[in-house]
Amino acid sequence: MIELKNIYKVFNAGTVNEMRLFNGFSFDVKAGEFVSIVGSNGSGKTTLLNIISGSIPINGGSVYLNGMDITEMSEHIRARKIGRVFQDPSVGTVPSMTILENLSLAENKGKPYSLGLAVNRRKCEMFRETVLKLGLGLEDKMDIPVGLLSGGQRQALSMIMSTMTPIDVLLLDEHTAALDPRTAETIMQLTDEIVKKNRLTVVMVTHNLRYAVEYGNRLIMMDKGQIVLHKNAEEKKETSVDDILHIFNDISIECGN
Amino acid sequence: MLFYATTLDGLQMGLCFAVLALGVYISYSILDFPDLSVDGTFPLGGVVCTILMLKAGVPAILATALSFFAGFMAGVVTGVLHVKLKVSNLLSGIIVMTALLSVTLALTKLLTRNGQTTSIFSYRSESLDGLFGGKLFSSHGSGVKDYIVLGVLLVIVIAIKLLIDLFLKTKLGYMLKATGDNERLVVSLGKDPGMYKILGLAVANGFSAVSGALYSHLFMQYDNTSGSGKVVLALASVIIGITVFSRIRFIKDTTAVIFGAAVYSLCLNYLVLVDTNGIYLKLLNAVLFTLILVFNDRMNAVISGKTKMKRRVRR
Ligand SMILES: Nc1ncnc2c1ncn2[C@@H]1O[C@H](COP(=O)(O)OP(=O)(O)OP(=O)(O)O)[C@@H](O)[C@H]1O
Ligand SMILES: [Mg+2]
Repeated sequence: MIELKNIYKVFNAGTVNEMRLFNGFSFDVKAGEFVSIVGSNGSGKTTLLNIISGSIPINGGSVYLNGMDITEMSEHIRARKIGRVFQDPSVGTVPSMTILENLSLAENKGKPYSLGLAVNRRKCEMFRETVLKLGLGLEDKMDIPVGLLSGGQRQALSMIMSTMTPIDVLLLDEHTAALDPRTAETIMQLTDEIVKKNRLTVVMVTHNLRYAVEYGNRLIMMDKGQIVLHKNAEEKKETSVDDILHIFNDISIECGN
Repeated sequence: MLFYATTLDGLQMGLCFAVLALGVYISYSILDFPDLSVDGTFPLGGVVCTILMLKAGVPAILATALSFFAGFMAGVVTGVLHVKLKVSNLLSGIIVMTALLSVTLALTKLLTRNGQTTSIFSYRSESLDGLFGGKLFSSHGSGVKDYIVLGVLLVIVIAIKLLIDLFLKTKLGYMLKATGDNERLVVSLGKDPGMYKILGLAVANGFSAVSGALYSHLFMQYDNTSGSGKVVLALASVIIGITVFSRIRFIKDTTAVIFGAAVYSLCLNYLVLVDTNGIYLKLLNAVLFTLILVFNDRMNAVISGKTKMKRRVRR
């Protein structure tokens, strides 16, 4: 499904701040896989997702989606096949628009944004049922601007919006990090449900080792732009949070912190 | 009596500028883009409309409508400079505004018989009627005429306002709002926010040009220097509208902007009463604008927290 071949990424090339993050990095995800990525701060997790989504240019290598070379494809074209939820809940919604308006926009993805009316009142009932399932009380707030909702409520909405229309790949970047433990749990369960229902291919970055172990069928640990640990579905079943934590600490100690 | 005439004048000009302010509402409030090119597209609309009437015999109302496209094209240039060539938003506007100074000057050559450039071209010198010079207006006494002009302007402004309101309810309109509020979401939806910026700037400058055309009709002349200070005027109108009038229940932003333009033009006209030589006009204008900005801040500080739902969240 996703294939990164021999990726090179240099930040601030040619300056004193030059930072070579990826040197011939390769990585692939098969259709239907749910990969969890863990790793210390600055290990290149977000950059990896940015390279898949096309948010940043690369210095070498190629990116494939469904066997097609998308290295030169711009971000918004890739977004037609790739959904993404960010750590910051405000990135996934339009704050000045109501829940109903946001959902209407998201539902139209893939079709032209033309001069037809944006909000179709007949779909309102359908949208209400969608948010009712979240159990966050959003169904009574359909006409309230999303900017006034809590982070968790917004993140739940982002999750729904990014998976409303058919996509192949879902990228999650610490999407529960800004939430309280209970809401984080809710969002994580919602994620799992949506992923299973739509049979999505997922790459999830998280600092929560328990989520990384509990969810998904592959686990990867990154450090300094390299994959330092790889557990496939079988190996992952045998792995506990403590095992991962030990490896994590060992790497950190090697780095001297 | 003088006060009365000043008020009437101010209202007429206010409605004229309301069209400009509605355009700037799109670029500034919706797209979050401080667009300086309106200083250039305002006189561009005036000169294009005047040429169409004088040289091609196009009826005044049609010529006014067509001037929209002149502004539209200039707006596209601003947009492309910013989006495709990555020039900053302020500089893109300045570049287009500067370039248009020459364009409008070159176009005025077409207006004069001997092909000279003039800064002011009088409609009367070529017995050009314009929108407000025809029989409908002149057959009545001058007192009545002013009200008819006011009425016609009001109809035009309301029509434009309703058009914008409708547009903002469409999918395309929503994408424009989303572009101003959260560009990354537009990308997530598989669309290029740059295209919406270009479109929004084009439409905004289209309205700026129409406003310039109406301004020419109102004074029965085309003035090449009429663009100076229009950015400030438009921004002040939008900010007064949004801070003061939008807070009133049931008043849409677009309506509020029209009120803002009317109030600001009235204020400017009253300043002329005080400063008869017009020397300090721009200075007073700047002071007035500063007061509005400060007031805007205070209002936001006081009202934030208990804002009506309708006001929505602004960053
Ligand atoms: N735009 C940029 N310019 C310069 N350096 C960058 C840029 N983006 C990332 N980096 C560098 O690349 C490295 C990896 O950053 P990245 O954001 O991918 O880390 P991460 O694994 O997501 O970390 P975190 O867990 O803190 O989110 C860091 O050392 C960072 O300083
Ligand atoms: Mg990160």
